[in-house]
Amino acid sequence: MFSTLPMKHLRIQLLTGDLPKASLILAELGVFAPDPRPILEAELPAIPGEDYRHFYTQARSRFDKIARHVAFNDTLDIKDVHAVSETDLQLTNDWLGEVWSDCSEFEEERHRLRDQLHAIDELEQTLDNFSNLNIDLGRLQQKSRFLEIHIGMVARTQVKQLEEAVGLAGYLLYRFLEREARTHVIIIGALDGESAELKSVLDTAGFRPLQVPEALHSEPEKAKTSLQEQQTDLQQRQQQLESRSAVWGTSIARHLSKAAQTLRQAAPYFQIQNAARNQGSLSAIQGWIPAREVANADARLRQKLHNPFVLESRNPTADERPIVPSFISRNRLLKPFSLLVKQYGIPRYGEVNPTLLFAISYILMFGMMFGDVGHGAMILLIGILARRKLGSFTLFAVTAGISSMVFGLLYGSIFGYEHVIHAIWIAPMSDPLYMLTMALIWGVGFLILITLINIINHLQQNDPSGALFGENGILSLLLYVGLLWGSFNVYQDGAFGVGAAIVSLSTLLALFAYKLMETEASPGERILVAAIETFETVTGYASNTLSFLRVAAFSLNHVALAVAVFTLAGMMEETGYWITVILGNLFILILEGLIVTIQVLRLEYYEGFSRFFAGDGKAFKPLTL
Amino acid sequence: MNSSASQTYLKTRVNIFATQLFTDDRILELLDMSLEELSGTFGLTGIIESSLAPQQLNHALEQSLLHSLMSDLSVLLRPLDGTSRVLLIYWSRKFALFNLKTLIRCKLNELSLEEVSSYLHHLPDIIRLPHEKLLQAENILEMLHLLEHGPYQSIARQARQVYEEKNEPFSLDAAIDRSYFQGMVKYSNSNSQIDREGLKELIGMLTDRQNLLWLLRYRFMYQLSSGETYYLLVPFGKTLDRNRLMELVNLDSFQSVLEKLPPKLRRIVSGTTNAMQARQRLDFSLSREMRRLIRFSPSPATRALAYLVARDTDLKRLNALLQGKLLGLDSELVHEALMPPALQEAA
Repeated sequence: MFSTLPMKHLRIQLLTGDLPKASLILAELGVFAPDPRPILEAELPAIPGEDYRHFYTQARSRFDKIARHVAFNDTLDIKDVHAVSETDLQLTNDWLGEVWSDCSEFEEERHRLRDQLHAIDELEQTLDNFSNLNIDLGRLQQKSRFLEIHIGMVARTQVKQLEEAVGLAGYLLYRFLEREARTHVIIIGALDGESAELKSVLDTAGFRPLQVPEALHSEPEKAKTSLQEQQTDLQQRQQQLESRSAVWGTSIARHLSKAAQTLRQAAPYFQIQNAARNQGSLSAIQGWIPAREVANADARLRQKLHNPFVLESRNPTADERPIVPSFISRNRLLKPFSLLVKQYGIPRYGEVNPTLLFAISYILMFGMMFGDVGHGAMILLIGILARRKLGSFTLFAVTAGISSMVFGLLYGSIFGYEHVIHAIWIAPMSDPLYMLTMALIWGVGFLILITLINIINHLQQNDPSGALFGENGILSLLLYVGLLWGSFNVYQDGAFGVGAAIVSLSTLLALFAYKLMETEASPGERILVAAIETFETVTGYASNTLSFLRVAAFSLNHVALAVAVFTLAGMMEETGYWITVILGNLFILILEGLIVTIQVLRLEYYEGFSRFFAGDGKAFKPLTL
Repeated sequence: MNSSASQTYLKTRVNIFATQLFTDDRILELLDMSLEELSGTFGLTGIIESSLAPQQLNHALEQSLLHSLMSDLSVLLRPLDGTSRVLLIYWSRKFALFNLKTLIRCKLNELSLEEVSSYLHHLPDIIRLPHEKLLQAENILEMLHLLEHGPYQSIARQARQVYEEKNEPFSLDAAIDRSYFQGMVKYSNSNSQIDREGLKELIGMLTDRQNLLWLLRYRFMYQLSSGETYYLLVPFGKTLDRNRLMELVNLDSFQSVLEKLPPKLRRIVSGTTNAMQARQRLDFSLSREMRRLIRFSPSPATRALAYLVARDTDLKRLNALLQGKLLGLDSELVHEALMPPALQEAA
């Protein structure tokens, strides 16, 4: 819980034919992360499974496209988990190809029907547009001995250029209706053998012809009825298509579930990629596994692989430490806090995992800054009521609410009222200086703890000089303690004190000397850089400590906002009073609640994490089913 | 950075970059260099001396030169914002569209991503197409459908409509090129006051060059009709306006088109007998015009785009020179390809 799990580098030598099965077993375990480095390239030059990966990629892509249109059962049948051979995968891929072809046809038919309905709608608009004129559009479309006429639509932005292009072929273009992005046009010209040229231009321009009913002029009602009949017919065909599509979906759903199962079982071998290598029938898989899981992996492989194999494990070498993935124990209670830590970064392998410290300090600081029994209860209630939407963050809201309630009891505050309940500890406004002092003490404790974690991290990474001399190392910590001691002496006795002065000066000089040696530059630049960096260490600690004053400042701010709300409410009559109190409390709850949430996160990230947590570790991504 | 600081930074950056553009004298110098000297000068020794197969070597050289252009682009984008930034990124999308056309051909020939990757440009994420996803599409229409959500939306939609109607790769390529240039014109119009005039002039010049080349190619190589040729042009050039283009597409010989060009363009391409030669001349002329804009344009975004266009032309010439040396082509032929006689005399 406090650190990443110790890892082992695992190498399994086995027969090439067993690779899919071994990948599946490792995926079932869920604790093996493939290592794609070409360590074994000299002995095992080939990377197996090229065709397998090709079939998988294509099948997966087809499956995903089909799954958007067909409902199916996607639960993995645990009892029937088995390795997928290349032949089976190819068969599944071929079947999915056929299914996707059918599915595309349904889609194409949908588009066609939609376009035809759209065309009828456009035609009705065209006919409405011409209804007041004595023009027979139907006759315009009839074949003539001398004229060639086209009625249709084209993209509005392309009309001008089309007009000029057909003009070059001896045709005229008239626009008669503009709708959304399309313009309705009539193109007319002499029937003199340029039809092929015109057709080519129209095709290039994406011209969509409109089919005007021939009987429009002679029997307009009949033509309109005919259009409506066509519309009804198309709508019926749409319904029939959807029914056929649903029946087809049902007919393939079972087989599709099987394909889903096949793909899930094939996925581990696909994911293993370059972590598997081979030379003929001999192969090897390499990767990272938590040390405590090695024996279990060995036992499971022995139980399920019938052919012999060799499993070797070793500790990561010093060079490998930066690339070893960090396996952080999953704890359901810490999940929301773990997600917030991951926003900053992943701990390096061997580093202290800051999640628990983050969770405790976050909850405490939130309560300190937003202590109010009523507001805390509201946050708790909202967290419980919105638990479905909040998911794992429900616990975050619940703990923040409880912390707020506890500190509300300590401060004697409920919905901003300071005199309803008795403060168990102190009402913040009664002694602001005391509150600020407490905040400083909290900050000092927090920073010392964080610096200690940083020292442990350096020692874990086998970096003793970093732990001693580095930024936030032992010397920096001693300097900080010396300065705090001296400041306390000044506050108590008016003098810095010899002991504090010796500790502060000696550590300051040691830090300066180390930075002087470490910097690579000309002597003058070296002194300047070392002086600035040493000074920065002092100012860094001072500013970080003072940052924690905001913990007290927000608890005072909470009371001050409540006083402002009650002052405003006091100026109203009874109804106005209660409306102001309720709206004021909502304002405090939402606005101040949000600000405190962000400010605590800021304190954690910038005053805490930045001191010990590089966040550049590699996440452990195991093979899974 | 505030606005004036950004503009000053951009102008300074462009001026520094512009010192590496090839002058006529520099091209003559490069023509006289050996392959070793050339590769040493441009940091390509590692690639030249590698034991790559000829096709891979060509691709590696091309990729290395493109990478240097993309690095310059990323530096020039830093101080830019708004539509000027969008326009510069849009200009660079032509390399992604080259990839798209390659992917379409590969889909037609049913090649895999491994087989096709040696033909594709490696591009920055900001303009890169999802190659793997596109090749997973079952056909070209599905491939274009996939691009209809994102920065290539407009180009992909127009290309798909044309492909649905005509179902052949030439029209698809033409539709993609045409949509790309229409996008350039659109972005140049929506720029800020300070950049609008300069960018319109620059894009007008680019459009003129492209329109003339398309016109010559479509009319006299592919024998398209005047109407279809005109429809495939982008009538927003600087000197080749609508009326001029309509007049030109109606002419029935290469030379008569050259004769009817505006005087400035006519001088550039006079004496050429095919579209390839015309293209060389136009590229040289465009490079000179770009250098003029880099020096005198009041618009920093125009200077930046002019630099990129000129640099792109230079790198193509350098690539041609390297290929010529690698293939052991006759030096006279390489001279002629990079510096046509008319231009050599001018130099």
